[in-house]
Amino acid sequence: MQVTGMLHGAKLLQFAGFPTSEVLGPAASEGEIKDLIARHGSVFVKPVFKGGVGKKGKAGLLGRAKDLQTALKEKERLYFAEHRVGNNFYKANGVTFEGAVPAEHEVYFSITDSTRFRAPTMTLTHHGGVDIEEIDKSLVASIPFDPLTGLKAFVVANALTELKAPKQIISPLVQQLPKLWELFHNFGMTTLELNPIRMRADRQGRLTPVACDFKCGFDRDDPRWGRLNLPSDLFAVDYSDFEQEINQLRTYQGQSDVYVINPAGTILAPTFGGGANSLVTEMLGDNAIISSDFGGNPPYEKMREVARICFKHWLRQTNVLFIIGGKSNNTDIFETFRAMADALREHFSAHGPTPLHVVVGRGGPNLIRGMGAMRDTLEALGVPYHIFGFDSDMSEVVGFARQIDEWMKAGGRDQIAASLKNARAAA
Amino acid sequence: MFKQGFGEFKYYVGINSLSQIATRQDRVCVLNILGGESKDVTPVGHVYSGGNVVFGTSPGRSGQVLETSLGDVPVYNSVREGMQAGHRFNCGVVYLPPSAARDGVAELIRVNPELNKIFIVTEKLSVHDAREIRAMGQQNGIDIFGGNSLGVADAWNEVRIGGALGGDNPAEALKKGSIAILSNSGNFTTTIATYLRMAGWGTTTAISSGKDIYIHYAAPEFAFALANDARSKAAVLYAEPGGHYELEADFNKPVVACVVGRWKARLTRAVGHAGAMAGGDDDAGAKEQWFMAKFGVDGIFTPENPVFSARGAVVTNIAHIPMALTAVMRENATRPDFPPEGSLALKPWFASTRGISLPAALDLPVVEAVAPYNEQIALLNRQVGTVFPRQTLKDASGASQLDPKTQVASLNGVTMLDAAQNPLETNIALALVHEAGGDNDRALVNAAVGSFLNLHGTPVLVAAQASREDGNAPNAVMAAAACLIGPRRVEPARRAVRFLVDAFAGAGLKTALDEEFDFGGVVPDEAMRGVLVGKKEDAEAAALLAGLRERGARSVFVRYLESLGRHPTADGVLAAISATLAWGPLMRKRISLLSVENLPWGIKLVGTLLGASVPANQHEAGRFCGVSNEEILGRRSLTEVAYLGLLGQEPRPEDLFVFQTLIGLLLTNGPGAISIQGVKGAVSADGPETPERVQLNKALVGFLSHSGYAHGGNGYEGIAFLLDQFRDADLNDPGDSGHGLDLKALAVRYTEVYAQYKSNRKTAGSLDIQKIPGVNHPVFKDKPVNHDPREVFIWDLMLDRGEYNVFHDYYRALVQALFDAGVSRTVYCVNIDAVIAALLLKMLWQPYRSGACPAAALETAAFTLFLYARMIGSLAEADDHLNRGRNMDTRTPASQCKFVA
Repeated sequence: MQVTGMLHGAKLLQFAGFPTSEVLGPAASEGEIKDLIARHGSVFVKPVFKGGVGKKGKAGLLGRAKDLQTALKEKERLYFAEHRVGNNFYKANGVTFEGAVPAEHEVYFSITDSTRFRAPTMTLTHHGGVDIEEIDKSLVASIPFDPLTGLKAFVVANALTELKAPKQIISPLVQQLPKLWELFHNFGMTTLELNPIRMRADRQGRLTPVACDFKCGFDRDDPRWGRLNLPSDLFAVDYSDFEQEINQLRTYQGQSDVYVINPAGTILAPTFGGGANSLVTEMLGDNAIISSDFGGNPPYEKMREVARICFKHWLRQTNVLFIIGGKSNNTDIFETFRAMADALREHFSAHGPTPLHVVVGRGGPNLIRGMGAMRDTLEALGVPYHIFGFDSDMSEVVGFARQIDEWMKAGGRDQIAASLKNARAAA
Repeated sequence: MFKQGFGEFKYYVGINSLSQIATRQDRVCVLNILGGESKDVTPVGHVYSGGNVVFGTSPGRSGQVLETSLGDVPVYNSVREGMQAGHRFNCGVVYLPPSAARDGVAELIRVNPELNKIFIVTEKLSVHDAREIRAMGQQNGIDIFGGNSLGVADAWNEVRIGGALGGDNPAEALKKGSIAILSNSGNFTTTIATYLRMAGWGTTTAISSGKDIYIHYAAPEFAFALANDARSKAAVLYAEPGGHYELEADFNKPVVACVVGRWKARLTRAVGHAGAMAGGDDDAGAKEQWFMAKFGVDGIFTPENPVFSARGAVVTNIAHIPMALTAVMRENATRPDFPPEGSLALKPWFASTRGISLPAALDLPVVEAVAPYNEQIALLNRQVGTVFPRQTLKDASGASQLDPKTQVASLNGVTMLDAAQNPLETNIALALVHEAGGDNDRALVNAAVGSFLNLHGTPVLVAAQASREDGNAPNAVMAAAACLIGPRRVEPARRAVRFLVDAFAGAGLKTALDEEFDFGGVVPDEAMRGVLVGKKEDAEAAALLAGLRERGARSVFVRYLESLGRHPTADGVLAAISATLAWGPLMRKRISLLSVENLPWGIKLVGTLLGASVPANQHEAGRFCGVSNEEILGRRSLTEVAYLGLLGQEPRPEDLFVFQTLIGLLLTNGPGAISIQGVKGAVSADGPETPERVQLNKALVGFLSHSGYAHGGNGYEGIAFLLDQFRDADLNDPGDSGHGLDLKALAVRYTEVYAQYKSNRKTAGSLDIQKIPGVNHPVFKDKPVNHDPREVFIWDLMLDRGEYNVFHDYYRALVQALFDAGVSRTVYCVNIDAVIAALLLKMLWQPYRSGACPAAALETAAFTLFLYARMIGSLAEADDHLNRGRNMDTRTPASQCKFVA
């Protein structure tokens, strides 16, 4: 859940009373763009990507215009710009026009939680405007501070002094930067980065820090960001329909984290526990449809609903339904297995049988009752299965599921389909 | 800004040695002790630890207790109240929801100066709150474990605090040994301990650190306390991507580090553990490098390529931990704590290939589970049949459903279109045992149900006939009969079937048709023997057995009955047939034992009600509708006899097919149908949670009272319409496509009449225009040409059989004529009611034309046929509600009821 760019960033900063560059959105009229150029001399034209996307400048996805004609040309070039960062591909939908802020000094500022200091930490340098990783460490201050008192002016002042920052920028930054703590801490952020903050001079030469780019990340588990009234679709692009449906069930009782690994995969693996999730998904690779963690002792109703959604989206293409977790501490195996078995039974009733092999690996409270419920349902549905206890090496069980998947691909699926058909015919 | 603790940390650490983390001296206060998770977990930890929980809090529940086998743990509104009551503690456990956890930490710290450890179980804590919790702990010198932790456990001290490590039996995973565990995953803390035991390694202190962004007790301080713990010779660390905790850890004892999560580099957001996000310099690859540098190794330890040093090894698979640890410890001249307790080889506890041949490597045999699970499995295997979870079944059913898209209903997974192709006896099996069965099952049903048709000389027939003569509709006639088939009448057969199932399941019977099965060990007690067999010959039983023999029906239970040395009773034979029919579905867990017990009742009800629907003069001594009892029991199909009973004449094959098709189509229309609501209401009112009190015959009375000429008679509406259209037509055989009638002209004639009627009504200002029976459907509309898929199915089915139906054909001509004349905007569909009417009338046309069946009797016949079909669907529904429903679950809350004036 990230927000980048000034389109929304400016509004958030204004909320905290922090000066920003002037920004127009994709719907800006030609007159408005012209006026913006007239006021600031030139404008930056930037594509709007949903979510957190960096390195736009390096990818040439930054336009600058001193006249309307160029601005519109850049708008046309960047409106649907495509951008690849690592494995991820993004497509823009819109542009912003941002008034240029002439300045001598560019400052980098961020707040995030440091696992080294185990405290919120300010990172600050007056050599901003470039990627922070590219700046010599000696020119960057990383200062942890007490969250109970917050980011105080003296913390900023001390950091800038130690960095030997130019005197004229110290006072305006000391006045303005602490405001950002309120925005960060009180609205559920996990990171906040302004780079660059350009130090704009007024007629008397007094400097004002002006945020010219914005990036922040929100904590999904913190309802405080709801206070910002951000557009509801701002983060929606992050989630597929399936993920969205599962996320609606997200409560503190029981995990329900999913990520679609490969929409064309053949192993559907409801996984229990973060550790099992890491192990299993790593071993299944692209055969896995989803990466999931449904642990945390979900109640029956929630588990059944989660399973129902999983089956609705993925069961038809699934070769192996692979239910896997370690030896659970508090997740009730009877409740969770009964819920999944019932969801499977309902799915078969509603949509007809689908060729499937079920592989289970699990341990925990009420284990045999849970396995029994699953077995009985699979027997009733005519689905073949292998159910392993916690004394089987979990990675071997994963390997077994993969081998079953391979066998299914090599004709096993047809055999099971025929067997299910025969069972129905006999019935 | 932090208190000074042990070690040279930049922050407060109050734990000097792992042995101090969970001790027998620790006393615990649990916040939200009565919460869903704590109330199960806390008693287990309390007992394991010798009673370490002094009290818990739960606002508003002061005075309550948490029961444990070591005595009750008191509950107070707040920590202060508990302390004022004289309790003292040094450990706080937070089971609060995420929004309240921070306040809980503040409460513990402010109120109790003796506090030195907090364990936060709460998941999904916001980072905001974690930050503040950290700061509070640091300022006040408190060690915090978590959040999102499953707490800590110490196998030496036998203490568990703040979570569920080891599950409901901590001693099973935690055996005293020399290895400390720190794991980002709570589940893996226990799983690793279990794996270590297999290889002969026990544990000292096991810590579930949690994997939030803030890990309050993490690797650096763990390494410090490990060094100072004389009991711990080595440690296992389980680490996931995210955070620099492990980088800062300085170990001076051997360590096996398991780093998992390289794949997360592909993710764009966190899944699973909140902090486990890829990217940056703290991903899985980076962590592997940190540990490799610490241990002086240049690769990952795998069984094929064991890379390790005396300082440690890095694995990426938790299953490799035991082997890596043993290798590392061997370098340190240290042997396992005890002999290995097992192996991690693949051991399926349950498996079935459903007869499909898997490659040898995948066809793993079932292995007996370790104790105590093997005993539990043995116990489980002794249970036969399934048990359904109970739920509110108002407007819901596990037996029937109506597909909203196709409007095709299904019963026990078989669509009505498929059921329509099966004979009546097959559909009875489908309803009662959830499977349609094969030839043998049909033979059993034909004989068993057939044996109850002839009611000559019984009070049931007297009651039914009296009801009929009082002018009651056929449903009321059948209800009069149903009332007399009460629980006492079927009690012996129900007991007998229960005995047979229990005894033969115990004897290991696999298939009820097993001619070789040795039932020598199945011995009934005297009372049961008296139910199964008698000294004198039972004529009913003898006739039924003769019928079964004539049909060549096989049954291990009948064979058993005949082996008992006396004369089988009618109840015994009915029980034996029931057990045979139910055995397969029961073993396949498709039905419950409860359903099997009720099966004799269901069979008896179907036979009796079919019989009661036929006037008394057709019941004679030894003959029913003119057919001898022997013939009914030994040769006739139930479909034939039911047809005969309904229409009083022998069916031709095509008539029989139409009859069974109609029965199949009308079996159910889903749980919303009024008739089914009647059944469900009757069962619900009896209280299915006490199933022995539910009367199956009363459930059928519920169905019968909830049907009538409006619901159940709509087939006749279509018949009346068709009769009107064909009044003047010279039609001899509706099945003859060479009928010589101009159907189009017939359709146009009615269209003109209807158009005129419609126009007159509109002119008169009325919008209440009567619809044409059998035409149009609220779901199948709005296309240029509309079809009801059920109608299309029957049309094609009959076409395939080379059978023609002039009435059905007429309906198709009619919808086209309505469109051509501009009466309808689109070509309406011919709906399923039209099909039913067309089929019924085709079947009844000859008796109607010959005068044997006057127009009024047509209506009764159509309604009775509906009752035959829906009676079977109703039995399925009653059985379903009995198995899954709750007491009085069909009522409507008063808030949803309306008063109308």
